[in-house]
Amino acid sequence: MAFDMSQVKELFRSIGVEYYALELDATDDGASIQQVLVELTNQRTVPNVFVNGTHIGGCDATYQAYQDGSLQKLLGDNQITEPYEYDLIIIGGGSGGLACSKEAATLGKKVMVLDYVVPTPLGTSWGLGGTCVNVGCIPKKLMHQAALLGQALQDSRKYGWQYEEQVKHNWEIMVEAIQNYIGSLNWGYRVSLREKSVTYLNSYGEFVEPHKIKATNRKGQVTYHTAETFVLATGERPRYLGIPGDKEFCITSDDLFSLPYCPGKTLVVGASYVALECAGFLAGLGLDVTVMVRSILLRGFDQEMAEKVGAYMETHGVKFVRKFVPVQVEQLEQGMPGRLKVTAKSTEGSEIFAEEYNTVLIAIGRDACTRNIGLQTIGVKINEKNGKVPVNDEEQTNVPYVYAIGDILDGKLELTPVAIQAGRLLAQRLYGGSSRKCDYINVPTTVFTPLEYGSCGYPEEKAMEEYGKQNLEVYHTLFWPLEWTVAGRDNNTCYAKIICNKQDNNRVIGLHVLGPNAGEVTQGFAAAIKCGLTKELLDETIGIHPTCAEVFTTMDITKSSGQDITQKGC
Amino acid sequence: MADPHLTKGIFHTLWHHFVRTAQSYHGRPIFVLFCGDKDAEGRSWCPDCVTAEPIVRKELHNLPDESVFIYCLVGDRPYWKDPNNEFRKNLKLTGVPTLLKYGTPQKLVEEECFKAELVRMLFTED
Repeated sequence: MAFDMSQVKELFRSIGVEYYALELDATDDGASIQQVLVELTNQRTVPNVFVNGTHIGGCDATYQAYQDGSLQKLLGDNQITEPYEYDLIIIGGGSGGLACSKEAATLGKKVMVLDYVVPTPLGTSWGLGGTCVNVGCIPKKLMHQAALLGQALQDSRKYGWQYEEQVKHNWEIMVEAIQNYIGSLNWGYRVSLREKSVTYLNSYGEFVEPHKIKATNRKGQVTYHTAETFVLATGERPRYLGIPGDKEFCITSDDLFSLPYCPGKTLVVGASYVALECAGFLAGLGLDVTVMVRSILLRGFDQEMAEKVGAYMETHGVKFVRKFVPVQVEQLEQGMPGRLKVTAKSTEGSEIFAEEYNTVLIAIGRDACTRNIGLQTIGVKINEKNGKVPVNDEEQTNVPYVYAIGDILDGKLELTPVAIQAGRLLAQRLYGGSSRKCDYINVPTTVFTPLEYGSCGYPEEKAMEEYGKQNLEVYHTLFWPLEWTVAGRDNNTCYAKIICNKQDNNRVIGLHVLGPNAGEVTQGFAAAIKCGLTKELLDETIGIHPTCAEVFTTMDITKSSGQDITQKGC
Repeated sequence: MADPHLTKGIFHTLWHHFVRTAQSYHGRPIFVLFCGDKDAEGRSWCPDCVTAEPIVRKELHNLPDESVFIYCLVGDRPYWKDPNNEFRKNLKLTGVPTLLKYGTPQKLVEEECFKAELVRMLFTED
């Protein structure tokens, strides 16, 4: 009790606030005052703290009020703090952070963005723009395109193109071109922030006090900054396996897109979309690729589609080792690339797998960057299991002046457009008088594996769980893209299905397509789904011919009918 | 203007002269300001270049040590408008004035060159 008393006094002293302390054991009326306090506040213990007439509580409650800013508000802002240096400080200069900062600046606010990339264990780093621009969507799609062009070259001979040379791929030329483009994006963001008068610091930000962060740059120089409002947009980084040799010898997607040498014979560990997309384009560029999967492919995605994605990869040069986990990575020879020996154990017995590779790419998941930014100092709660930040539907954390957006949100989608939308709408709500919230329902996505998979709405399993199998009608079909016919590529491989809710006018609640340009195909249907697309509306829509997307306008075979969907003719 | 073929020849030399100059400073940061040619009175046919030049000059003291600043004229208006001119083809220049850090994607184009703080950012930050 005495300890608590002095803690509270110390707190007020540290923030320069004068307090009056009534020591109950030093007053004659002590006991009766204590009784009145119980009646007034339901609190029997001391210290019992009041600020400007408002009851706060004991020591813990007072500290909590200080951490979440309500104490300062009661004291009247000007009494203990100078005005904040910024209206808004955003930690993280990725898709979400930049979108939010630019919107807030456009609305006239004084904004600071901190962006800092902690180098990978192998020393890789990058510029402003976050994961998507530097080590995610952008380089991924460009490398996927490089692989598709390789396939197109093969197809071209069937279309009459004749050339003698054996076509080979040069990794270094591709990486240089891609990195050049990324560099122009990094620069573009710098110019854009400068033009909008957003202060940008290439520094690591962490909270040291309520409303105050410490910024440390590459050279270790420290500055402090305060703001009325903060947004956490720190994103994620790849998770390692936690086995001997992982950080010393393995790479992740953080390293792959700027790798100065061709990775050679590669083992990709993981079954995430990152793992499958990377394995896909590496194989497409002509490399020997193996994917090691612990259990299922593309957890969280429609499993029928996931297995089809994997099956296509398997028939197109990607080896799969399923139900194994690596236990050790040893270096046999240094080099660019070197030689690594991977030992793995079966998840179902004692079988051991050992094989040599030039490169091991770990893609087993990503962890939120929330553990070392001082959140505990200011009382922001995170989900201890995954490090992610729970927020309400306005992206606000448990601390009222701290918001969070992007990949670090607990229970939300990890996608660039979602982060951008959330960031923009947040700024508009904070400073533009808007009340529009980010809509996380029916967000379309695409996995850019060699055969692309686009989807919007429910995976079939989740739809069945939510609505009951008997209340759903699933229409499906195989299709053969016209361009594949002359090229002699697989028929009866591309696949499309829609999941309809029979109880709601056959509303389309899930749409899935496996085929070329799946992203382009899916985008328009996402808008239709937002408008309440039904099977009938789809049937009334006339298709564009000849395209892949038109299959959605003529689907009439249901899964429940058991009819064969193998294609024979046109 | 003189015989167009002869004119083309002169500017062809200009491009090679630029490349040789840049190469001679290989290893040092090189900043280049590309502007339209000036007439006998010293005025450029490109009004934006006229605006940008003094602004860029005022920031030159912010250039990092060891760096080199090249002021390069890209020819008369007809030559510049020709989509096949060497500067467009080889350096992907899209407009004048262009201020860039040679060998990097960092550049400022047209009205961006009017903003002193952007020029300063180009010169001082990496």
